[in-house]
Parts: sequence; structure tokens; C-alpha cells
Amino acid sequence: MKTTKTIFQDGNHKWVAIVRDPEKPNFLIDTNEYLVTHGGQGLLLDPGGAEIFPAVFSALSAEFDPSTLAGIFASHQDPDICSSLALWLEFNPQMPCYVSWLWGGFIPHFGGSAKTFVTIPDEGADISLDGLILRAVPAHYLHSSGNFNLYDKIAKVLFSGDVGAALLPPGQDGLFVENFDAHIRHAEGFHKRWMGSNEAKRRWCERVSQMDIDMLCPQHGAIYQGADVQRFINWFDELQVGIVAA
Amino acid sequence: MTTALTTISATASKAGVDLLRIVRINEEIKSVVGVAFKINIMALNAIFLAKRAGTAARGFGVLSNELRVFSQDLRNCMSSLTGLIHGCVNEVSLVLQDIRHTRLLRQAVEMAPTARICQVLAAREIENDRHSVRLASLRKQLKRALEDAFQMVELGGVLAKSAKIEAAYGQSFAVPLAQVSGEFDAIVEEIRSSLEALRRSAFFTGK
Ligand SMILES: [Fe+2]
Ligand SMILES: [Fe+2]
Repeated sequence: MKTTKTIFQDGNHKWVAIVRDPEKPNFLIDTNEYLVTHGGQGLLLDPGGAEIFPAVFSALSAEFDPSTLAGIFASHQDPDICSSLALWLEFNPQMPCYVSWLWGGFIPHFGGSAKTFVTIPDEGADISLDGLILRAVPAHYLHSSGNFNLYDKIAKVLFSGDVGAALLPPGQDGLFVENFDAHIRHAEGFHKRWMGSNEAKRRWCERVSQMDIDMLCPQHGAIYQGADVQRFINWFDELQVGIVAA
Repeated sequence: MTTALTTISATASKAGVDLLRIVRINEEIKSVVGVAFKINIMALNAIFLAKRAGTAARGFGVLSNELRVFSQDLRNCMSSLTGLIHGCVNEVSLVLQDIRHTRLLRQAVEMAPTARICQVLAAREIENDRHSVRLASLRKQLKRALEDAFQMVELGGVLAKSAKIEAAYGQSFAVPLAQVSGEFDAIVEEIRSSLEALRRSAFFTGK
């Protein structure tokens, strides 16, 4: 089973990371799921693949009543992001799934009905969670062409999807980045190959460096906090992406 | 819709309902575990009071030790309930996964009933049965664990009521002893009624 770690809490406003399943087979890329709660409601960010649904569902249930989930946020269309969608909907059929308009016709291949999808325009949108405003921030072409991060201004947390992702070697599975220079080596190859546009990257770095962020939470690897957030933005800004040897 | 497909969708919604039920049980157990935690502190409080009262409350002293043993047993019992309920949540979500796979495979078999796809479906169904058997066994274990917890809490209720009676003989300590045993009794009663409701959950009766 995965474990849950509360990374931010102010009363019933919480950010919970669902991470690290020791029983997960190695050929599946490791993913982090996040739950934001506010009031009596919860929003699940990038719920993960169909294969890991039991692990995520049972970990989440230990922390939070899953029948009070108000929705799913899918940063983009990848299978590791939301191929579990049909199973979550089986449990809670009324739940909306927020996703880029670009994937509105593609993600239904994983499941859902016409009522399920709330599409987000390219410029982003606000999502309200029992009065808490979460901002879907554009991060197109990083790596997906229709891609959003999710920003919580109150908690100062940015869920960054695949941006900031690192493929950590076995045994190095701390939840937070401890040594930036050592950590970033595991992020470099991923960003060079998966991220497709230097122009999009530059605009993302500009936008995000103006935001007040305590924690930058990627969907793979470890969370950047404090000074490491700006360190990451600077590093990414310098990196040339969209590189393939072939 | 054909009969086979009707059956599978009925099974799917049953698994969905099962998952909802087990989630409800999980929520209730989480709150019972929280309440049970308070009992430990109360039992220590009772022992402390009994020590202060000394010979004035010898009978209460004996009972407060029993209450402490009960609170420890209850804690162990709650941790095994927590383990079992997690197992059940996991297993029901696996069954949900199975049902989705099976539904898609059955549709493929209906459209193109080749030997190979039928074999694949049969293998799938064997796997489904394995999960169902495991779920049934977990369900039984959880039911038994709930019964055990219920019996234990009934015993705790008797202890708390005896402590209330003994408190009256506590001379100058009668009032604080009555208060502590009264609180204990109220908490035990709260747990007892939660467990009572859980035992009757449709997850076990299948209605
Ligand atoms: Fe991706
Ligand atoms: Fe990813």
C-alpha cells in the first residue's frame, strides 16, 4: 500500500501526498498523487494509473472519506495521470474531472460520461473547493501540449505535474529534496527528453517565479521546498530541452 | 443488452455499493479508534485517583487496574480491526478493477468469440474468483473481529458500571471517583453502540 503524508495543514485545509508503494512492481514508473482538502471536500490531483488504483484508494481511505471527493484534476492526458478514472467514477459517478480542453475527447477513452469532463481553456481557470480557490496555471508543452499545474495561493503550494519530476534510483526515495545538486541529476534526463519547447519553458519559468511558492510538488520524485523552489526554476530556465540524439 | 452483460453490470454496481459500504465502515472504525484512544488516558487517570484514595477506595483500585488492562486489550483489538479494514478496502477495489476488465473482455467475446479470447476471459474469471474468495475470507475475519471487539466492550461496560458502584464507597474521594467512572462508562457506551451498528452493516449481511 502507498502511504499518505500531510505536507500542509491549516485546520481542515490540507495537502496530502500519496506516495511510495513498496509493493509496486519496478516496471511501473513511480507516481505521487495529491489530495487537497478544504471544508468537508477533497480534490484529487492526478489520481494515477488503473493498475495502482487499489493502492491509491486504500491509502487515501485511511486519511480521508473518499465518498466526499468533489472532483479529480488531471494535469494532462497520460496513462500514469488518469487511466484509473473509470474506477474512481465507478465509486463516485457524479464526480467531475477537470482537464485541458485539448484532451476533452481523448480522456473519455479511459472512462467517464459526457457529464464528467469540465474542460479548462488554455489560459487556465479557477477551481473552487468549498470556497478555496485553486488556480489551474498553464504549463503547455511541459511536456503535454495541453497541460496545467494547480496553484493554492493560501497554502503556497504549486502542484507542477511532470515539471520538476525526477526518476529516483531505488533507495533514494525521500519525500523532500534534501541535496539539490545531487537530486537534480536525476531530473535532468527527464526534462531534456520529455519537455518539448524551450519557448514554453521560458514562459513557465517567468510566470512561476512571480508566484509565492513554499512547495513545488511534482508527480514523480521528490518535493522542492523553500529555497530549492527558486533553485529549480533557475536550473530549468538554463536547461536546453527538446533534445533527442536520434 | 444481453443477459451476460446485464449480469456483469449488476455485479459491477454491487461491487461499487460494496466499496461504498466498506468505506463507511472504515470511517466509523476510524472514529471508534479515536475514541478508544481516550480510554487509555482515562484508565491511567482512574489508577492515579485510586492510588491517592488508598485504602478509602480499595475496591475501586482493583477495578481501575482491570480497566487499564481492558484499555490495552481494546487498543490491540482496534489495531487489528484497522489492519483488516484496510485489507478489505484494498480487496474490494481489486474486485472493482476485475469487473471493469471482465466487462470489456466479455464485450469482445460477444463480438468476436474466438477460442483465444474465450481462454483469456476464462483465465480472467479464475482470477476474479480468487479475489472474491479472498474478499469473502476478509469479510468473515472482519465480522469476527467486530464480534470480538463487541464482546470485549460489553465486558468493559460491566467493569465501568462496577467502578461506578465502587466509587460510592470512596468516602471523601467518592465524587471524583464517580466522575471518572461515569466518563469511562459513557465512552464505553459510545464505542459499544458504534460497534453494534457496524455489526449490522449490509456489508456483512449482503442485503
Ligand atoms: Fe506525462
Ligand atoms: Fe507523469
